[in-house]
Amino acid sequence: MAEADIRLPIAGDTDIVAARQEARLVAKRLGFGLVDQSRVATAVSELTRNVVRYATDGRGEVVIRELLGPSAPTGLEIVVRDAGPGIADIEQVLREGFSSGHGLGMGLPGTRRLMDDMQIESEVGIGTTVTIRKWLRRR
Amino acid sequence: MARVPILRLGEMLIATVLEDLRDTDALDLQERLNASLERTGAQAVLLDVSAVETLDSFLGRLLNDIAATARLLGAVTVIVGIQPAVAITLVELGLELRGVQTALTMDQGLARLRQRLGTARQARHGRG
Amino acid sequence: MATELAEQRRTISELQTPVIQVWERILALPVVGSLDTARTQETTETLLDRIIATSSEIVILDITGVPVVDTAVAKHLLEMVTAARLLGCEVLIVGLSARTAMTLVHLGIDLTGVITRTTLAKGLELAFRRLGLEVVPRRGGVDQRPEPAGELA
Repeated sequence: MAEADIRLPIAGDTDIVAARQEARLVAKRLGFGLVDQSRVATAVSELTRNVVRYATDGRGEVVIRELLGPSAPTGLEIVVRDAGPGIADIEQVLREGFSSGHGLGMGLPGTRRLMDDMQIESEVGIGTTVTIRKWLRRR
Repeated sequence: MARVPILRLGEMLIATVLEDLRDTDALDLQERLNASLERTGAQAVLLDVSAVETLDSFLGRLLNDIAATARLLGAVTVIVGIQPAVAITLVELGLELRGVQTALTMDQGLARLRQRLGTARQARHGRG
Repeated sequence: MATELAEQRRTISELQTPVIQVWERILALPVVGSLDTARTQETTETLLDRIIATSSEIVILDITGVPVVDTAVAKHLLEMVTAARLLGCEVLIVGLSARTAMTLVHLGIDLTGVITRTTLAKGLELAFRRLGLEVVPRRGGVDQRPEPAGELA
């Protein structure tokens, strides 16, 4: 039985914490191990912070959903979207990194390393949608 | 606002991060630590993060900054209790927390600091 | 059938990366074979869990059994080192051959802050010193008395 999508508004600091805690809970419920829970929570933290820092009015939305297979959940998908200003050069933000721990940037390369899948859709003047996914590994 | 209390124990400042810190709380902690260091001339800062489940790039950089500032103010920083899942995530994010000492437990952290700060003093008093 | 295979794979994986407690607060991790991303992750998780379980302060990473140390392998090793360090451990890498050392220098891999020794024995000696321990001749001399067999100490 699928759980309904969880939608959370992002408007400030507190929402970053709420979103990452919720994402962790869902990951835990789906059966992800501790390290994956940490990866998911951290990725959500990075993405929602981008919204608060860079999006118009610092507002956006997080949607957390279970990905279902024929008999059981297969993974987790999280969508973080905002309504502006949009990223002009997606290649560039994916290149900036935290390898040296310096500078601001959007932490996107780091986020991608933590997750199995990451897609960015963005249009200047419209907004940005980042979708991240992690699959449950059958051991 | 969730203020993380800063305790002073001899030459050390100790702060135990007890809950999921918001960005503003973290920045507030950093400011108060810097102020304390300046005011007290403490030689060490111990940050207990054993309850922190999500340590992202913002908090990671903040810890780096705290350590760097502390060093300039003559203090060493020890981060205590990084959880395994957090450590692995930090490494994958590419954050190393260079310039920061780490310890598994408060006991370990205090022992290390005692070695650095006052071995001679301890020996004279017949301790450790 | 699929679960059996998964089970076997996991057993093999665990066998390949045993974490050994060689002394109080000292762990040794002999790495055998190649190191890919998945194996590095598994090994790191096991290592960190053991560090906590034993309150270890020193990890000796033995790479004698790693045939090729290229940029990727070096990166994975450094990731393990960093993770263990974040838990308060000092990490020593032992089993570096001259060839590996040359390769690392040639590749420009930055190993400053990583202590290395050529053999496990030398690493252990350093580890003891770090913990304020040393091995000294026994006061009563050599003890060659037979131990009772079949007893678990």
